[in-house]
Amino acid sequence: MSATRQRPAAERRRIYAGSGTAAWGRGHARAFAFALARWRAAPLASAATTAVLGLALLLPLLFGLALANATRLAGTLEASREISLFLAMDRDGSDAEALALRLRARPDVAAVALRSPEQGLAEFRRMSDLADSLDLLDGNPLPWVLVVTPDGEPAPLARALAAEPGIETVQYDAAWRARLDAWLDLARRVLWLLAALLAAGALLVVGNTVRLDLGGRREEIALLQLLGAEDADIRRPLLWLGLLHGLGGAVLALAGAALAALLLAAPLAALAASYGGGLALQGPGAGGIGATLAAGAALGWLGARVAAGHYLRTSRPADR
Amino acid sequence: MALLRLEGVCKAYPGGQAALVDVGFSVAAGELVFLTGHSGAGKSTLLKLLHLAERPDRGAVLVEERNLAAVRGRDVARYRRRLGVVFQDHRLLPDWSLHDNVALPLRLAGIAEAEVGPRVREVLARVGLGDRLAARPPQLSTGEQQRAGIARAVVGRPLLLLADEPTGNLDPQLAAEIMGLFLELPERGTTVLVASHDLALIKRTRRRTLVLHAGRLVDDIAAADLAA
Repeated sequence: MSATRQRPAAERRRIYAGSGTAAWGRGHARAFAFALARWRAAPLASAATTAVLGLALLLPLLFGLALANATRLAGTLEASREISLFLAMDRDGSDAEALALRLRARPDVAAVALRSPEQGLAEFRRMSDLADSLDLLDGNPLPWVLVVTPDGEPAPLARALAAEPGIETVQYDAAWRARLDAWLDLARRVLWLLAALLAAGALLVVGNTVRLDLGGRREEIALLQLLGAEDADIRRPLLWLGLLHGLGGAVLALAGAALAALLLAAPLAALAASYGGGLALQGPGAGGIGATLAAGAALGWLGARVAAGHYLRTSRPADR
Repeated sequence: MALLRLEGVCKAYPGGQAALVDVGFSVAAGELVFLTGHSGAGKSTLLKLLHLAERPDRGAVLVEERNLAAVRGRDVARYRRRLGVVFQDHRLLPDWSLHDNVALPLRLAGIAEAEVGPRVREVLARVGLGDRLAARPPQLSTGEQQRAGIARAVVGRPLLLLADEPTGNLDPQLAAEIMGLFLELPERGTTVLVASHDLALIKRTRRRTLVLHAGRLVDDIAAADLAA
């Protein structure tokens, strides 16, 4: 080749390889524009895919929010649950006062209320249909009762108080708490299982969308390959398309969760109030929003990556 | 120096039909060479071996002394970006504008958009389509589509241009214009291999001609001999 015909190596590199990061950035900018164009080319099908992804994300999101709020509510109920100490029948008011004074000094006790046998009997009359029967009793059969509000974990305190002299019975429903914990644990596992199943479904939905897109562009892709497109060149717009679907689905899921919270806030607050607690429904928060967007984007990207990878592995028989 | 060299190349398609049998020749850098023969002589198969759409069963295809058998994976794409290919059926993307079709090799090469536009406009002007930038291929005549395919093949200033029957659907005057474009390319550093069965065009153009028959290279005619 003559000197005039020989193209300098630097120019050839520039022509055929671009300039590193800048070429990579341009590739992504073009791929993003192309993905947007593909989205707009079939708006109904694209919206349907995004909506299915949104539902797949919304269900675990709602379940997760419900679980988080239930856990919080359970925590509130547990925290407010009191330990009732029934004194022996031979203990009188001064014994009860002395014990209450001692208990209030404990760091794990928030408050101690005294309930006399008379107060207990009056309460019993109000709360039961046995008022007439109570009149038949010779005296008051009820002991002095100390109602202890724990400051912290109630179970160890209940065990400690059982060892106090003069206490006949300690009433603290540990089994109820254990059952609640078991339910919450089960619900958490169901949530993860549900999320995994729906994530697999979301992957299949995005993968199928990309597969259909590739099927409709078979000739175009074959031409791109003949003209020197690398797998990354062909995959890049599809990854952006998957990412757009995933992010769109995540935004839809967050909007759905916000709508659900709006609809459920009032009845849930009323329900909580009926149990004597106040409950403001808690949303996903900045972390939850970020995690949902990241999960949507990751699912969309991964679904597109798997489908495009499979197509490209089978479409370059002479290249390998 | 030979830019392109084939040594004992054989290729048969499934079913046993031999497309190329022991073909060997070399082409110097900056040369324009015709490849001719009847339909089924092996012209298109040879071009496919050169742009790696097919692989030889035996023998070696060397470009710049590099055996293409060793070009695999990502290197295939890199190698193809150094080629220009004119397809017999144009193979333009129907939904893309003429500008985007022609810009494709530059964009695949990562050329900056500021450079893509001027180069696309320049090459389209050279093939007489400077005023059809926004047109879609279905809006173009067959001859215009062929010229657009040529513009796409040359816009990246390729090392080697492969053209499969580039004037097959064109009238003689247009065919002569297209050949005029090809004749400019060696001056710009591009080696050109044109597969054509148009003997009148080959005689008019007067360039070295390789003759294939039933997959065998049966003649290698120098330009001077064609003139005679």
